[in-house]
Amino acid sequence: MLRVSALEKRFGGLAALNDVSFSVAPGQIKSVIGPNGAGKTTLFNLIAGTLSPSAGDIHLDGVSIAGLPAAAIGAAGVARTFQQPRVFASLSILENAMLGGHRFHKGGFLACGLGLRHTRREEEKLRARAEKWLDFAGIQSIKHRNASELPLGQQRYVEIARAMATGAKLILMDEPAAGLDETETKELGEMVRAIRGTGTTVLIIDHHMDFIMSLADEVLVLNFGQWLAEGTPSQIQNSEIVIEAYLGSDDDA
Amino acid sequence: MSILTFIKQDAVHLNTARVALFLTAILLVPVVFGIGYYLNMMIFIAILSLPAMGLSLLSGLSGQLAISHGAFFAIGAYASAILSTNIGINPVLSTLLAQMIVALVAAAIGAVVLRLRSHYLAIATLSFAIIVELVIKEWSGLTGGMQGMLNIPAMGALGREATSDIQYYYIYWPITALLLLFALNLSSSRIGRALRAIREGEPIVDSLGIQAAEYKIGIYIISSVFAGVGGALYAHFVGFVTPATGSIMFAIEIIMVLALGGFDRLWGALVGVVLITLLNEYALGFADYKKIILGVTLIAVMLVFPRGLLPGLIDLARSNKYGRTA
Ligand SMILES: Nc1ncnc2c1ncn2[C@@H]1O[C@H](COP(=O)(O)OP(=O)(O)OP(=O)(O)O)[C@@H](O)[C@H]1O
Ligand SMILES: [Mg+2]
Repeated sequence: MLRVSALEKRFGGLAALNDVSFSVAPGQIKSVIGPNGAGKTTLFNLIAGTLSPSAGDIHLDGVSIAGLPAAAIGAAGVARTFQQPRVFASLSILENAMLGGHRFHKGGFLACGLGLRHTRREEEKLRARAEKWLDFAGIQSIKHRNASELPLGQQRYVEIARAMATGAKLILMDEPAAGLDETETKELGEMVRAIRGTGTTVLIIDHHMDFIMSLADEVLVLNFGQWLAEGTPSQIQNSEIVIEAYLGSDDDA
Repeated sequence: MSILTFIKQDAVHLNTARVALFLTAILLVPVVFGIGYYLNMMIFIAILSLPAMGLSLLSGLSGQLAISHGAFFAIGAYASAILSTNIGINPVLSTLLAQMIVALVAAAIGAVVLRLRSHYLAIATLSFAIIVELVIKEWSGLTGGMQGMLNIPAMGALGREATSDIQYYYIYWPITALLLLFALNLSSSRIGRALRAIREGEPIVDSLGIQAAEYKIGIYIISSVFAGVGGALYAHFVGFVTPATGSIMFAIEIIMVLALGGFDRLWGALVGVVLITLLNEYALGFADYKKIILGVTLIAVMLVFPRGLLPGLIDLARSNKYGRTA
């Protein structure tokens, strides 16, 4: 469903991503791993349209999305969660999730200002859609709290509810397990499986080997912006190039 | 289920109930206090509330301040004046037509300027305001130049015109109240929610497939039309317009109104207009120093209470009541 071909991104002289190609099958959980600065977040920014590629192409269900504005790619069915959770801090959790479903519901400036009945019905439908995903993410009971009041771990679930409410067919999750303890990581793994269970394809970045190995169908390894290896978790775990790259870097075992 | 819980279910119902209560009180004022000079002041409050509410919508929802509301007030005033005086269109219709002109100009300005972030918006709209003031002064064939325009027809249509303050009072306050209701509804709708989100993080909003730019331009147009309606109501009430109508000084006074009433509160904008009208009327008779005093007050308020005087004082009162948390 996602095909990345010869993708390249330069920042000045630095090639943050160089000649990276891979694809993701529908309904897969695919993981992207690699040492710090390997270009993982950059890859997500290119797929989501936050950055435009220096070269190469990205196809979503056969349609090229490389270089499109982020809003167009969002509307085409790509949602994401951020490495540093980014919730709308001054809005309630419910409103955060409602923004995920925002684009499906009608109501222009005039209709909303006039308070027309049909915009209010749309608002009810939007709320129902948001609540469904709050329920899914397990944060329905705290929906009226301000998103800023939540600890980081729970902000990730707000991001997940918001992303799922967009009706995405592909969700990009950037290190969602960072900073979580063992139980929380396990719960997150269940959540990721549940997301896949809804038919959404998952591309997930992480550093925790155990977490990824038990979760992913396939793993892509990046190193210094280069494609290093790709395969099933056990293939990757036993790959000498990968082990070398990881031993060569000073963390992320 | 009581009436209150019924109302609370829906923001539109709640807004309507509040504005209806407010309008009822306003309409009863002349019944209680009789007809007097204060009516004239109250009419100006109704008029000035419109640009103030417009700017409050913009700053409260998108976090941006524009210095173009004086200019749009002037465009609304001059356009309606020209259409009714020179072409003979009735003032109700000319007021409406003037808003199409305001909306078109605002859309053009918005499309160019709203790619810029907050303080750039202020500077860019300031340039626009300067240009509008210049055009009004120089295009004397159309605008009467420095002399302005006189004998603008009174508000009305089909041969029925407002002739007294009390009539204006009963025409203008319902208009202001309806536009207040419109603004409140917009603010509590999905549009308001999207704008608040854009204010916090446009990239996140983009990632949700929402076209942030459309919302930013839309609220700028609506906000400018509020100022334009104010301008047209003003022109037909006082019967003349001059380049001082909607000058940059006036734009700054509207910002001052928000500094008093709060930058993100529509009701606060009304309170701010009342405060500034009272200040102008009673405390600042010594005209030469007026601008300096207003300017210094504005800066002082913004330094001490960045969200505005009224919200600042409310916060202060709350923190005193409940004790300060460290
Ligand atoms: N906007 C940018 N401008 C300049 N350089 C950038 C930019 N974004 C990323 N880089 C550089 O590109 C390289 C790859 O960064 P990226 O954030 O993609 O790495 P990562 O694999 O996500 O790392 P981490 O595990 O630390 O999150 C780094 O050297 C980084 O400094
Ligand atoms: Mg990263």
